[in-house]
Amino acid sequence: MDLGSLLNALILGVSIASIWLIAALGLTIIYGTAGVINMAHGELIMLGAYSSYMLQFYLGLPYLLCLPASFVVVALVGLALERGLIRYLYSRPLDTLLATYGVSLVLMQGVRLIFGSDPKYLAVPEIFQSNVMLGSVSVSAFRIVVLLVTVLLVLALWLLFYKTRFGVQVRAVMQNKEMAAAFGINSGRIYMLTFALGAGLAGVAGALFGVLAIVLPTMGASYVVQAFLMVVVGGGSLAGSVVASGVTGEMQSVFAFFTNDTLARFIIFVLIVAFLRFRPQGLFAQSGARR
Amino acid sequence: MGNLYHNKIAQWVVYVAFFAALAIIPNMVGDSFLLNQFATYCVYGMLALSISLCWGFGGILNLGQGIAFGLGAYGMAMTMQMQSQTESNPIPPFMLNNSLDYLPLLWQPFQSTLLGLILAVTVPTLFCAAFGGIMFRARVSGPFFAIMTLAMLSAFYTIILDRQAYTGGVNGLTPPSAFQFAGVEVDPYSPTAYWVVLFFLTGATFLAKLITQSSFGLVTQAIRDDSERVRFLGYSVAGYETVIYTISGLIAAVAGCCWVMLVQYVSPAQMDVGFSLSIVIWAAIGGRHSLLGSILGALIIQGAQSYLGDTFLATWLLILGGFFIVVVRFLPNGLASLLEVALGLLARPDPTSSPAPDGGRPLPAE
Repeated sequence: MDLGSLLNALILGVSIASIWLIAALGLTIIYGTAGVINMAHGELIMLGAYSSYMLQFYLGLPYLLCLPASFVVVALVGLALERGLIRYLYSRPLDTLLATYGVSLVLMQGVRLIFGSDPKYLAVPEIFQSNVMLGSVSVSAFRIVVLLVTVLLVLALWLLFYKTRFGVQVRAVMQNKEMAAAFGINSGRIYMLTFALGAGLAGVAGALFGVLAIVLPTMGASYVVQAFLMVVVGGGSLAGSVVASGVTGEMQSVFAFFTNDTLARFIIFVLIVAFLRFRPQGLFAQSGARR
Repeated sequence: MGNLYHNKIAQWVVYVAFFAALAIIPNMVGDSFLLNQFATYCVYGMLALSISLCWGFGGILNLGQGIAFGLGAYGMAMTMQMQSQTESNPIPPFMLNNSLDYLPLLWQPFQSTLLGLILAVTVPTLFCAAFGGIMFRARVSGPFFAIMTLAMLSAFYTIILDRQAYTGGVNGLTPPSAFQFAGVEVDPYSPTAYWVVLFFLTGATFLAKLITQSSFGLVTQAIRDDSERVRFLGYSVAGYETVIYTISGLIAAVAGCCWVMLVQYVSPAQMDVGFSLSIVIWAAIGGRHSLLGSILGALIIQGAQSYLGDTFLATWLLILGGFFIVVVRFLPNGLASLLEVALGLLARPDPTSSPAPDGGRPLPAE
């Protein structure tokens, strides 16, 4: 048993976990707050990648500025989506799932019609293209950037939800919408803002994934099921998603070390289904009743 | 006179007329390629029917219908593949290409056509019974069950992709010759193949119709509307849900077999998330509370898609997605509910009945 390469797998697992977590962050906020199953999340990620591409290509924006800019662009798209469609469907969770799938079709085909099906590439600073030695392991520098951005975003979200007035309001609406409304919290506004926030996070993820992989209209579809499972296993809370992504990321990496990538993914899917059979509320269940 | 839409006799008349119309298609269409196309639409109709049964009548949104369809299709493709293998050449070529020089245990039952067919239908059905049974007993329902089916579908997709030597991997299986049954070759472009598919579609539809009109169907509709109340009335909600989910899986498995018989091809694309979701779209646009509406939804959408061709595919999917959003937002019960409303306007209000009978959406049989 080669301990060195197992260590490699563990370090790679942290990187995989950070990728899954950043894909799931926005979804966690949206599902955790409003209970909306947003099937268009993958396409919001795709939009984030395309908006970075456009900002770079037409405005010559440096890559690091593209991250916050993509956040803003996709958050605005999310805001429009919430106001135009989602807010009418909060009482019909199954229908939000279907309607957002329709949205994902529209976004994917719309982008395909505008930009074509050929891949686009995001340019990153030289320094991110090198590899970094972590002990005996060589890791691409950009994966460390992804990890850092993920950590920063989780910290920022934790501060937002647990240290600000807005965060208290969000958690109040999460626990009991009617009671929160009775205390003067505008729950419709909270839903709107959290949806925009979640969409914006997808935008940041997209700007990062556009570098990890190529930018394609279909790139979002591969993230959405994975991101959902992280959210559902975590139970819809921020801590839950962090732990769920961490554990499954490591498991993916270790199983892939013993078998291969696809088989590892299969094992994880089956384990998740088995886990949810016994704990449908996820790792950290939300306190209070929703619906 | 009440709303004709809810009249059982009128419903049966429409169903019989619809299938009679489908039955005369081979006499009207001389082009064998077109006939093959119509037959594949009928397979899609069967899939939409199966979703309508478990989602529209059982309240179980199943985003993983591709599991039953795909497993059935793979079973059929394996049977057909083994039919073209001979004594001297017992191993399918793709296995040899993957350096597998013996027939795996998984494939051995498919040497017998009858056993292969039985397995192609029973394996997915039993899977649905087991998966549904386990999930529904844990009271997993609603959007949560939908996500679980998605996860399961992705699991099957990845394992089939991964086990290339056993499943043909991403290329899938392409049986070289047409399906043979009892010494007769079923040419996929012949009217015979169309009749076979139509037979199964008709059988499945009438079975589903009888189920929805039975007392069993009434209970499943009650579970759809309020499962807690039904549970408090003493019914085994998990049992009813498992049965309706399994029947739906059975129909999808048969559809999978028919599909491979028609196209002589199966690949992991049939277990793609997008395909399973498009089945749901057919049923949702056609009207999930109406079996016939769902079938028509599949026929019309798939018909239009292939009529417009690949050049307009992106535009078509854009329009379809937009239309789907509009239907979900404004017409949750699909286009069939428009007919329901129209016929309701025609119906003379019965002076003896209590006012405002539509207050809480009475439980329709259809």
